[in-house]
Amino acid sequence: MLEQVAFAVAALLLLSSGLKVVTSKNLVHTVLWLGCMLAATAVLFVLLQAPFLAAIQLILYTGGLLTLMLFGVMLTQRDEGFVTIPNPSQRRVAGGVLAVVAFAVVANAVHNTPSLPNVRSAQLPTAQVGQLFFTQYALAFEVLAVLLLAATLGAIVLSRRADAGVASETPGADVPARRALPDPTAPTTERKEA
Amino acid sequence: MGHLIANAWLRGLVHGALLITVLMTAVAWISWFERKFAARVQSRLGPTMVGPAGLLQPIADAFKMFQKEDIIPRGADSLLFRLAPPLTLFLSLATAAVLPIMPGMLASDLDIGVLYALAFSGLLAFPIWVAGWSSANKYALLGGMRMVAQGISYEIPMVLCALVPVVVTGSLSLSEIVKYQAAHHWLVFWPPGIGVIAFVLFFTTALAESNRIPFDIPEAESELVAGPTTEYTAIRFGLFASAEYAHSVVSCALASALFLGGWDGPVLPPSVWMLLKTAALFVIVTWVRWSLLRLRSDQLMALCWKYLVPVSLALVLGAGAWVYVVG
Repeated sequence: MLEQVAFAVAALLLLSSGLKVVTSKNLVHTVLWLGCMLAATAVLFVLLQAPFLAAIQLILYTGGLLTLMLFGVMLTQRDEGFVTIPNPSQRRVAGGVLAVVAFAVVANAVHNTPSLPNVRSAQLPTAQVGQLFFTQYALAFEVLAVLLLAATLGAIVLSRRADAGVASETPGADVPARRALPDPTAPTTERKEA
Repeated sequence: MGHLIANAWLRGLVHGALLITVLMTAVAWISWFERKFAARVQSRLGPTMVGPAGLLQPIADAFKMFQKEDIIPRGADSLLFRLAPPLTLFLSLATAAVLPIMPGMLASDLDIGVLYALAFSGLLAFPIWVAGWSSANKYALLGGMRMVAQGISYEIPMVLCALVPVVVTGSLSLSEIVKYQAAHHWLVFWPPGIGVIAFVLFFTTALAESNRIPFDIPEAESELVAGPTTEYTAIRFGLFASAEYAHSVVSCALASALFLGGWDGPVLPPSVWMLLKTAALFVIVTWVRWSLLRLRSDQLMALCWKYLVPVSLALVLGAGAWVYVVG
């Protein structure tokens, strides 16, 4: 009984915060609603008796969310101190179509999965999950690791290239956000004028 | 293991309520202790007026906090501004659920207790950043940004150091780790050398996560007024302060469970040993706070990424090798 109630609350929270992520105009609010959504997903994992997944969900996604939030604040336009998202009304149709397609793909995948194992009886101790990573699913695990490494290297390469461009060519030309910031190394006379 | 209360939901509720009561009471008198300690370090007397030796000062402080005017800045995001303090306190208390106080006495004996504790202490940067952002104050926002940078960076060596006991004992459950230490060796001593370094690093990074000097850069009062809490007044500020104390205490308890054998010890009952170890670590925290200087923001990052992360990676490798060779 209590489990059903917990599930209902978590599912409602998941759906409503998901909606809020899409409809919210304020970027920070959006990110916080996303956090709410991910936490509700972690609750669902707990209810499925997969506490390991729940903890991993919290650790990984919140770290990611925090960085997302920082970028959201640092790299977007500011309107009276609050970050706002430009009105996306002209892209509503395209967004709707995309959402329907994505839903169809996921629904099709779930529908075509032969039979989901009974999660409750198949509950694994964490040690066995770890062992499976290094035996049965070793290839997938390694491929994922390489993919993540590639993403990290790519991020470093891209950011280094931007740095080099700034140093050699016109300073700040490809980094528009920089123009708005005052130069901390500027001579003091300029500061007096401001 | 036989539990006094059979129903799991009820047991969690009772233990949780008990734990929160004990922790919040402890936090009140810890603030008294810290003021006294700081005063002695600086050749002062500290609180003396309210009660014998100023012992009732925390109660007076609580009344004062409740009476003060509650100000929400006009430009602030008022919902988030009001949400941040209770959320901070919630997260720092939530970690306590998996702390093994004595055999059979813990709110929830999770299979993955260590991960759970680390997940919640990692989340703490979140509400503090929200506090800084929603205040619409540049000092508060700067403090929040520093909090996130520090939280994300120091989480990595902290998790790696916590992995050393996990690798050695082969369990992610805190009570299992303590039982192993009671049966074999305390993990500060056990992989000889590795254990003690891991303990010192874990304790250091825990200090950084709970924002204590020498790592209290987010609220460096000489640069940022009070960091993320600049705009907070009255009991909302009080909630932040008690959350910080609660998190420090919980981190100390976590360190003693992971490395110092938790409830294990001769003669005295197990819960007393656990409390003694936690208290001893907290004294060290206070001692460090009132004798060291604050690091600079870039020094903090350099310390983390150039020294702590590589060393803790080496520690995990070393612990793995030790288990492989010695068993």
